[in-house]
Amino acid sequence: MNTVPGRAARRGAHPVAWWGWALLLATAASRTANPWLLLLVVAVSGLVVVWCRGDEPWSGAYRVFLLIGATAIAVRMMFYVVFGGAEGATVLFELPSVRLPEWAAGFRLGGAVSAEGALAAAWDGLRLATLLVCVGAANALASPRRLLRSVPAALYEVSVAVVVALSVAPQLVSGVARIRRARALRGDTGRSPANLMRTVVVPVLHDALDRSLALAAAMASRGYGRAAGVPAGARRVTSAFLLTGLLGLCAGAYALLGTATPAPAAWSLLAAGAGAAVFGIAFASRRVPHTRYRTDAFGARDWAILLSGGAAVAGTVLSGVAEPGTLWPQATLAVPPLPLYAACGVLLAAAPALLAPTSSTKTGPR
Amino acid sequence: MADLRSPRPAVRRRGAAAVALAAAFGLVATAWPLLAAPGGALTESTSGPWLFALLLPVVTAVVLVQLSEGGMDARAVAMLGVLSAVVAAVRPFGAGAAGVETVFFLIILAGRVFGPGFGFVLGNTGLFASALLTGGVGPWMPYQMFAAAFVGLGAGLLPGPGAAAPRTRRGRFAELAMLASYAVVASLAFGLLLNMSFWPFAITQGSLAYVPGGGLGENLSRLLAYSLATSLGWDLGRAVTTALLIALTGPILLRLMRRTARRAQWN
Repeated sequence: MNTVPGRAARRGAHPVAWWGWALLLATAASRTANPWLLLLVVAVSGLVVVWCRGDEPWSGAYRVFLLIGATAIAVRMMFYVVFGGAEGATVLFELPSVRLPEWAAGFRLGGAVSAEGALAAAWDGLRLATLLVCVGAANALASPRRLLRSVPAALYEVSVAVVVALSVAPQLVSGVARIRRARALRGDTGRSPANLMRTVVVPVLHDALDRSLALAAAMASRGYGRAAGVPAGARRVTSAFLLTGLLGLCAGAYALLGTATPAPAAWSLLAAGAGAAVFGIAFASRRVPHTRYRTDAFGARDWAILLSGGAAVAGTVLSGVAEPGTLWPQATLAVPPLPLYAACGVLLAAAPALLAPTSSTKTGPR
Repeated sequence: MADLRSPRPAVRRRGAAAVALAAAFGLVATAWPLLAAPGGALTESTSGPWLFALLLPVVTAVVLVQLSEGGMDARAVAMLGVLSAVVAAVRPFGAGAAGVETVFFLIILAGRVFGPGFGFVLGNTGLFASALLTGGVGPWMPYQMFAAAFVGLGAGLLPGPGAAAPRTRRGRFAELAMLASYAVVASLAFGLLLNMSFWPFAITQGSLAYVPGGGLGENLSRLLAYSLATSLGWDLGRAVTTALLIALTGPILLRLMRRTARRAQWN
């Protein structure tokens, strides 16, 4: 496929780098409710998507996620108007209010709608929308097929199953068309669901499952399956790491719930569990005797993209220490202040627009 | 390599331990708004759901590595791929109408025939393939994959031999009834847990909002009211459509999958 020299250099950044960048940006957004900062995050993600996305089927995902984000804000506002929320002095209008009886939880529906409450609801919705938009940016930028190639080797079989699924899905569609044509040729054009089930769905599934057996025989005869490769000792070590990691994650999560364990201890337990789990997966991947055709290297540019995402999180952490209160402004009608450090961090996260712009704009039409 | 004569991936002791630990973690990840004690570390932090959405993929990956340790049979891999493609193909049929869920019935039937381990992996690969095909990898995906995996696992753990069809007509009817009632319970539990996982995030003020550290009594009634106001229609729709689909397509699909499982024993 990619036999033209220089094509590799023109490929976009690593999909793991894009996902890491987007998740770090979203983490920064989840640490604040300041509308300026949230809008800045949306603007930065939009800028990077416009500059760096390719011309692929998934590149339009960003717009879909923008719509989903707008819906989230609208739903949040509707909740506020119907079910009430923060009270405020500036009443915009009054809805007829109903108080549910005590046995039905005693909630109030309708009532006064204040400007402060509406603003608080809008910012709240904006925070959720920003998270969604960041994930949408990753969807638009990262190639799912390249991402599938970066799955750890220990998950080899599972990723092969997904690859099989991705290639079988179009075959299913063509199978439906073929079987419907054969059915029409036999003079059977009934449209009752029971008939369709018996004469279309069952043959398609039968065909697909039979084909899976043929595929399995082909795979087995070409030596798929790694049953013999991993010694029992290595497997025991892997399991020990994996189970310890899970145990740590569980213990940390439960410790976070209660008050008996101090918070730092609970957080470090959680982090240690996650570390052991990740190490276990890496260890298992090293033991799997599989080679890869054309490994997708994680280069300096990809690290720079990850770092720029980390700058956004670091900015919010700095702001939380240096200018407390600006990240979580009070719900008043006054214009909230802009946290400086966090804003600088988020602006730094726009760096991928310069680091990895779409190749077609740089090298001319393909 | 477990049993050479069957494509059903066996869940061994360490795999079972990993699944149990993952279930315990999933319970915290979804139900933390109800479980968090006042003054606990999670109640002060607003990033609880975000944190769990980031950690759930790690937990899922660990369980998948542990379940497939030592290699999975090529037949199981091929069957997983084909059934995941079917899941991805039928999923869009449920996207248009409110509460119509067309994924669970397949995962439940496949879990019944091919066993709990297969059901667990199919829940993950099916939803992942569907997300990749439609370009919709959202923050809800880790939760959905995790939940679908446990729906498939539970279907495999239901009593009675899953790989062979019951002999009598009554036995077949009883099996369908059991699967359909399992589908109702699983769909409702899925809706409630998923609701709970992002409830503190979706709404922060008002009479439906989560009270940080409010404890079980205060928050349970608020959660029920929130579910009633938002998603109960969807949850009931999901339960009814899944049970109906199982009742209607179950006999024929179970026969189909069992035939394939029989044919796959080619040694």
